[in-house]
Amino acid sequence: MEFLSLNILIFAPLIVAGIILSPLFPNDEIIVRRFAKGFAGLLFIYSILFMIFFKPHEVGYQFKENIKLFSDANWIEPLGISLSFGVDGISIILVVLTTFLVMLALIASKKAITTKHKLYYSLILVLTTAILGMVTSRDLFLFFLFWELELIPMYFLISIWGTGKKEYSAMKFFLYTFFGSLFMLAGILALNYFHVINTGVSTFSIETLTYSRHYDIPFMFEALIFFGFFIAFAVKLPIVPLHTWLPNAHVDAPTPVSMLLAGILLKMGGYGLIRFNTQMLPEMIKIFAPILIVLGVINIIYAAFVALVQKDLKLLVAYSSISHMGFVLLGLGALNVAGISGAMFQMIAHGLISAGLFLVVGVIYLRTKTRTFSQLGGLGQVMPKAFYFTMLLALASLGLPLLIGFAAEVMIFYGAFTSDSLEGFVLSNQVMTGLAAISIIITAAYLLWMLQKVFMGNMFEKWQKTSDLTPHEAIALTFLSIPIVLFGLYPEGITSLFLPFVDNLVSHFTL
Amino acid sequence: MDFLLDIKTAMLPEVIITFTILVCSVLCFMLKQEKQKFIYFISLLGVIISLISINLLAANKIFTGFYNSFSSDFFSILMRFLILSGTLFVIVMTKDYSFKFKHRQGEFYLLILIATLGGLLLSGANDLIMIFIALETLSLLSYALSGFLKKDKASNEAALKYLIFGGASSAVMLYGFSFLYGITGHTNLTEIIAYLTNNSSNMMFSFALLLTIAGFLFKVAGFPFHSWAPDVYEGAPVPVAAFLSTVSKVAGFAILIKFIGLAFNNTEAIGITLGLVALLTITVGNFMALNQVNIKRLMAYSSISQAGFVLIGFALLSYMGTSGAVYYLISYLVANLGAWLAITIFDTQTNKSLISDLNGIAYRNPYFATCFAVCLLSLAGIPVTVGFVAKFYLFHTIVQMGPAYLWLLIIALLNTILSLFYYLKVVKAMFVCKGADNGSKLNFNIGVLSTSFVFLTVLVVVLGVFVSPFINIARYSAVVIDNANTSAPVSVK
Repeated sequence: MEFLSLNILIFAPLIVAGIILSPLFPNDEIIVRRFAKGFAGLLFIYSILFMIFFKPHEVGYQFKENIKLFSDANWIEPLGISLSFGVDGISIILVVLTTFLVMLALIASKKAITTKHKLYYSLILVLTTAILGMVTSRDLFLFFLFWELELIPMYFLISIWGTGKKEYSAMKFFLYTFFGSLFMLAGILALNYFHVINTGVSTFSIETLTYSRHYDIPFMFEALIFFGFFIAFAVKLPIVPLHTWLPNAHVDAPTPVSMLLAGILLKMGGYGLIRFNTQMLPEMIKIFAPILIVLGVINIIYAAFVALVQKDLKLLVAYSSISHMGFVLLGLGALNVAGISGAMFQMIAHGLISAGLFLVVGVIYLRTKTRTFSQLGGLGQVMPKAFYFTMLLALASLGLPLLIGFAAEVMIFYGAFTSDSLEGFVLSNQVMTGLAAISIIITAAYLLWMLQKVFMGNMFEKWQKTSDLTPHEAIALTFLSIPIVLFGLYPEGITSLFLPFVDNLVSHFTL
Repeated sequence: MDFLLDIKTAMLPEVIITFTILVCSVLCFMLKQEKQKFIYFISLLGVIISLISINLLAANKIFTGFYNSFSSDFFSILMRFLILSGTLFVIVMTKDYSFKFKHRQGEFYLLILIATLGGLLLSGANDLIMIFIALETLSLLSYALSGFLKKDKASNEAALKYLIFGGASSAVMLYGFSFLYGITGHTNLTEIIAYLTNNSSNMMFSFALLLTIAGFLFKVAGFPFHSWAPDVYEGAPVPVAAFLSTVSKVAGFAILIKFIGLAFNNTEAIGITLGLVALLTITVGNFMALNQVNIKRLMAYSSISQAGFVLIGFALLSYMGTSGAVYYLISYLVANLGAWLAITIFDTQTNKSLISDLNGIAYRNPYFATCFAVCLLSLAGIPVTVGFVAKFYLFHTIVQMGPAYLWLLIIALLNTILSLFYYLKVVKAMFVCKGADNGSKLNFNIGVLSTSFVFLTVLVVVLGVFVSPFINIARYSAVVIDNANTSAPVSVK
């Protein structure tokens, strides 16, 4: 086994979760937390090594792994299912984002989690395994398995440590995602079926079904497969009108879980859209690109307006998440290099920014026990550090130049504006881009108002003794700010990883 | 000496069980009340030896016994293995529970072993008469077992309900048998198949087959013959409920597969009827389970809907479908046994059976709750459990049958969401809901019960990872069924 093994990266968190849960492990909060945090730090460093040794210009997967059981060539030989992992341009960056945010979420857990520490930290690590497995799997069955596996820890994390109507929210999250995933299951089985009747071999390998599919699937079925995948990812992304689980889940989840939910789990929707709907079914995405763009614009505008009228700080951030994920759709619908890499970049940018914003919301809630704007105000006087960080995050979120959000939005707007994927549609790409651009003003409005209502103005007497950021929170926010500034100044640092992948992807459309 | 040879090659496990029954019945009279626990060990030993003896049977050939009315092939060996392992765990369940039987402990094991014998014979039966005898052995003993708590009203009600429903369905089945005999002139299944390959089938035959299948549907609690299940499961002693929902069901499915096999090269009508029955079974089971507050009733409806999934595999009327059904049956047996073990442990120690009684148990008995949750999630089809793979494989087989079966797939998929809802309800009660502070802490120390519970849970996960051997087994047994029904070798010794 080589030193850089994806197996270790994926399954180590699971093993550590088992160690933490085992009765032999001391049931002491500090030891459990430090152990988990230390491990997450190591995992992050380990994943960075993958990124360093990753060769962006090679087409296809790297660091390939294929675990075999018994003497079979595959994991489940009768069905042609393999336990195979690998990373390519778009998954390597999500792997690093995942380990990074897990580390920060664990750092932020100190104050937010007060009970059942062993269970909490092991569930977070199980979640890590599920997410890492999802982005690195080279097999549709495996992807689906991890997709479902992720629901279990998430359900418990929201329903046990959450606040408010946590059980309802957790159940809603679970059932929505499960509902979507069944459509994906049907799509996966249909892809396999057409492979079997055309080649006589049963396989679920993503590579085979993507690169060496030399037969045609009847149009109607291919469209159904496309929509099967699309619905699953639309729930996850989320796309209006399938978004209603998100505000509930975010508001009731504990802060670190919100960070992970917004930071990584929503990205799985975008990842799936690129990996399956775009890469695997290029013919279909050309036809259905208008739907993507229209839904994207609706997402952007609708969620921005809804965010504008929110009275709850966390709900505002949640709706801003939905609005920003609309950009991913807009970029994807452009079907050109700038658009798709913009979508990818937006996922990273939003992952960092929204995790930060949710952390700040958690910081404020922890101290004031309220998230209602009318109860807050003037906190900048007593929490200057929190104020600075929030301002940085909010400005990055609304797309201030030289911060990471700006780079993402510019790429997406450029891609969407120059694209001709809407040819023959009533509205041209340029009009749709213009519509989406309106949202920049709305976004600026609600984020700046948020800053004003929370941190500026007069302060209630009762917040006089509110303390500023603890070192833990400050460290987590600093860690988040570094890439936000760094890759805002130097976007190529990220884009160079997946640009060759996107180039290759787009070359299939233009053929 | 032919007869003895038959016994050695085809019916060794049955013989051992019969022998155990004889020993137990003698011991029942001989032992005093306080020593009756000894019978528990004897019956356990008998079942284990019988399980071992299954390995001595030749799996790759077909042996017949009792002048061709019993045939031992790979499929029947697999089913007998499942039945015996089910019985093993059911007997283990009675370890602490049996104090409720008072002075009749010994009888209980006697009855359960005879019922198992009926199940074993049923899974290899190859003759209408044999099928009827075996089925009635299983049924009559099940009625007696359901009413085993003599002084308990619910138990008596359960037995009576079961008896009346069972009698009616047996009559329907016999009516079907009479048609089958009338059409073909044979009672031996092999010869009936031979007749069918030489003569084109007609409506009458399909009708007879449907009547017969209705009788078996009662055994597996399929729609519309399911309504006995919840009351019986709730009223009967818990190990008996476990027996009915696992062993008895496996036996029912074993014979059902044989009969479905008759329809393989037959009419579409049976396939569509069965498909509808399967979907209704799942849907009705799920919808009824949604609002249950009693864990036993919930498990009853859950096992109705699970049976529906197995029936889907049959409805495809093909080798692929059968293999999906067999694999699903294996997964169902393991997870369901685990869940019933949990209920037995809980019921024995607290005498409660509401879902709300489980509130917060995860923080008093973490291992118990985790194991129970894994079993339930396997039934719901969540990875990484055998239930997930089984559902996936079953859906895979449906899709492989082509677009004509899309309706089956869609409704089955939608039902998985429904089922998730009520399984999660139990999991939620255990892990999320706040229990009473002085809530009862279960005694979950190392013992036979806890060990076998943990064993089953580990098995649920291990089977979810090591998948291919079992899919191969399921496929091979489906091939055996397929061959038996198409090539039709008539071999009379």
